[in-house]
Parts: sequence; C-alpha cells; structure tokens
Amino acid sequence: MKVVSRALRGVREHVRTQLVSVATVALALFCLAAATLAAQNIGEVSRRWGGPVRMTVYLADGATAEQIEALRSALSALPEVGSARYVSPSESRAVVAGDDRVMASASAELFPATVELSLVAGATDGGRVESLASRVRRLPSVSDVETYRGITGQLQSFLASGRTATVVFGVIVLLCAIAVVSNTVRLSLHARMREVEVLRLVGASPQYVRSPFLAEGALLGGGGALVAISLLAFVFFAMRGRVDSALGDVLGVRPVFLSLPILVAFVLGGAGLGATGSALAVRRWLKV
Amino acid sequence: MGRPRIGAQFGRQFRPDGHFDRSAAHKPILVLEGVVKVFRADAPVLRRVDLTIERGEFVFVTGPSGAGKSTLLKLVYRAETVDEGRILFCGRDIARLTDESVPFLRRNIGVVFQDFKLVPYWSVFENVAVALEVAGMPSRIIRSRVAMALERVGLAGRGDDLASVLSGGEQQRVAVARAIVNEPAIVLADEPTGNLDPVLALDILGLFEEVHESGTTVVFATHDRSLLEQAPQHRLIVIDDGRTIEARQGLRAVGGALDAQRQHRDADDAVSTARLPL
Repeated sequence: MKVVSRALRGVREHVRTQLVSVATVALALFCLAAATLAAQNIGEVSRRWGGPVRMTVYLADGATAEQIEALRSALSALPEVGSARYVSPSESRAVVAGDDRVMASASAELFPATVELSLVAGATDGGRVESLASRVRRLPSVSDVETYRGITGQLQSFLASGRTATVVFGVIVLLCAIAVVSNTVRLSLHARMREVEVLRLVGASPQYVRSPFLAEGALLGGGGALVAISLLAFVFFAMRGRVDSALGDVLGVRPVFLSLPILVAFVLGGAGLGATGSALAVRRWLKV
Repeated sequence: MGRPRIGAQFGRQFRPDGHFDRSAAHKPILVLEGVVKVFRADAPVLRRVDLTIERGEFVFVTGPSGAGKSTLLKLVYRAETVDEGRILFCGRDIARLTDESVPFLRRNIGVVFQDFKLVPYWSVFENVAVALEVAGMPSRIIRSRVAMALERVGLAGRGDDLASVLSGGEQQRVAVARAIVNEPAIVLADEPTGNLDPVLALDILGLFEEVHESGTTVVFATHDRSLLEQAPQHRLIVIDDGRTIEARQGLRAVGGALDAQRQHRDADDAVSTARLPL
C-alpha cells in the first residue's frame, strides 16, 4: 500500500501532466476499445454470414409430385441439411415478380421449381458444401444446384480483411499507448529527480526507488482504460437506439457491447500496459 | 539502557552473510589506505591518501575548491569508487561491497550537503522521515524519532511546513535532522555552510558540535577558515594537490604539523608541489 500511496503522491505533485497523460492514454485506448467492439460484432456477423448457410436445388422439368416429395425427404435426411422446403414455380414467380404486374402475369412454367435447403452449423465450410452439392447433383429429378459460394466467399474475404485491419490497428494503438505512458513517466522522473537523489542518498534499495514509478504507470494505464471504456459505453448506448433496428434488419444481428470479462481484461491490460511503458522509461532513464 | 541505535545494527545489515561482526566495534570507524581517485589521467584528485578516523572524532577536512574534499566524502558513501587502495568503514572494505549492499551502507552514514538536498514539495516531516521509511521502520517509531530529531535541530512543531517555504538556515537544519534521525555511525558534511551567511554558518556548526557531543563521529568538509577558527580544538585534515596533511591537535597546531608532513612528503615524493591554503 505504501508503494501506491507514494505513487499517488507523485501523481498529486504533477497533476496537470498526469491528467494530460491519462487523457492521451484514454484516447488511444478508446480507439483500441472501439476496434475491439467492432471486431466482436464483425465476428458475430461473420458467424451469421461467413459461410453458405443455404443451398438451392433446381428440379428437372417434368418431375412428378411423388418424385419431388421423395427427393425432399431424401434431402431432409442428409446430416448436413437442417430443413428442406419445396418451392413451386408459382411461388417462385411470386417471389421474383413482387409488385411487378408484367412478371406476375407471366406463365408459372417459366419459373423453376426448387427445393431450398438450409444447412446445419458446421456444414457450411467450402469443402463440405461442395461435397454435398456434388452428391445432390447425382440424385434423380435434380437439374442443378446453387451453393452461393461466390457471394459468401467475397463476404468472408471482406470480414477477414476487417479482422486483420483491427489487429494491425490494435497493435499500433498499443505501441502508441506504451510510448505515451513511457514518456509521461520519463517526464515524471525528471521532475522528481531530486526525490530520487534523496532516496538513493538515504539508502533506499533500487526496488524501493523504482516501485512508485511502476505503480504510477499502472495507475495511468488503468485509469486511461477506465476512462476509455466509460466513454465508449456512453457513445455506444447513445447510438445503439438509433441504429439497432436498422442493423438488425440488414445484417440479421444486433450490436452488443463488450462483455464484463473483456472489460475487466481491458482495465487490467491497460494497467499492465502502463506498467510496461513505465518499466521501459525507468530502465532507460533511472539509474539507481 | 537507551533505545537501540539503528547504527549499531549496521554490521549485521550491510554484511551480505547477515552475521554481526563484533570486532567492528573496536576498529577505527574509517580507514583510508593508499586511496587513489583519478578523473583525468594527468591530474589525479586523490594521490595515495592514508587516513584513520576514530569513533567519536570531529574532523575538519579543508582545502581549496577542487582539492578533492567532496570526492573524499563521496568515496566514503560510495557515490564514487576508489581506483586504487581501500576504504574500511568499521573494518569492512567499501569498495568490495556489492551493489545490493550499498543502500545498507548509506543507512549508516548521514550526509549533509551545501545545497541541502531536500525535496521541496515534501513537508519537513516527510523529508526527515524518508531516512527511516527506506529502512522499513514502523510508522509509530518513525513519528517519535522524527519528532525527536526535529527537536534536536530546533524545529519542533514545524513538521507540517513545506520544505520550500523554509529559510536557508532552516532547510539546512532539516537536512541535519535527516542525517541524524537514524542515529548513524558517522555524519559527513560537505560544505554544509556554503550557502549560508556567517551567522547562520556558526549556528549550523554549533548544531554539528551538538551532534558530535552525543557521540556521533562527524567529518566536516569546508573551505571557510573562519569556521575552523571557531573550533580550533578539532582535528584538521588539509587536502591539497591530491594529498592530505594532518593537524591532529587542530588549527592551533597546524603550522608545525604541516611542516613535518611536508618534510615527510618531500622525502617520499620529490616532485610534490602541494601548496597549503591556510
């Protein structure tokens, strides 16, 4: 406790410098927390849309009702398939035509009859989807199979790029935060050089001299992290009410805030980051 | 049976093996043997200095500016290390102490400087208490010992004042209180009156006399001759041109002692050009 009280005494003595530092660290960590929040929600979108979750089986012309039902039953029994629903040509016409009267008046025979498959979780990776499509193509009454891999592949690639950008951004922000804390502690060290000199003079051990500076760095980092997540929470909950339903309709997922374990880890990580920055400064600038 | 002296524990504290060396109590407190210190190869600051200081002595170290007075003191509290020779503090060679042991050595040496070396934004109490806090003393004992030290230097009741609001003389009193609060074996004073007017200088000298009277060894470095004249009974060591010349009986006997020393040195080193500043 004495170490913390000595660190707090140092903070009090140079409160303006420390406030500027906490604000700077908080800004850097706010960016990191926002990136983490984005990564978490992108992950959710990725899970929802990252793989082909459906497949369309086009039926051969002239397939009878019995053949269609037999095919639907056979498809339903496949382990990769969650559900199989028959869509008649008139249903297809209604979906495609929508409000278009010209299309709605076209003959239903112009539209294909299909069986829409929804795939179970774990069956949506590229290899298994292709294997399933190949098996389905060999079944009687099947004309063709659409796997939508092109579209989901592009989305997957986009999400992967987003994740990589988040990680790179996070690393840059971390390094910046370490540099900020390190420089703040360096300033503090220079401002408190007389104190260090006196401590050495009266026989303080190197650990005794260094420990308050390490604690000060940890306090700066932890304090900055707390300010950052408070600010992010304020912004998130203020905006969520406005964009929540729109995002839910478009993406099929609703944005969620960082979980408690992540928040705790963030504050502890901020403190660790501050201690690291401080340790670098102490190692470089404090000779005891 | 008084309070246990922190200084009395130093043998156990700064010996890495943790065993108390009883024989240390009967040895001179400080012995310099052939000490050489060189910052520039062509002008050594100290040239084979031999010196013995007994327990309870009050020793003036004098000489012109740059003669090596501060360097001599720095070697004792290990702010510098000797290039040749050795320094025995209570029988232990300071040069051979490990870095981990140096703080324990310093807890047994009080040091007072010309520029006071106080932390301006700490209170008087905090500036004195720090010498005990680093040794891990309980706060109850720290409070009582700091109060006693402040009383000894005439600053009773001033513990809450910030060091920065004190006058020069008061700041030096705080520095003396910090130096004596843990009852060290020896107090080193490096030009402690250099920043003070003559009246305050005498005041501070009186304070060191009181510290000495309580049994503490005092080594007082100054180039101020008027101070030496105020306490002519104390042993005098003159440093000049890197060598020491002694007057064990003080300033009154300095002439004869210096002549003898000079003759001895001339025989030993024909090229010596040491000049006496007095």
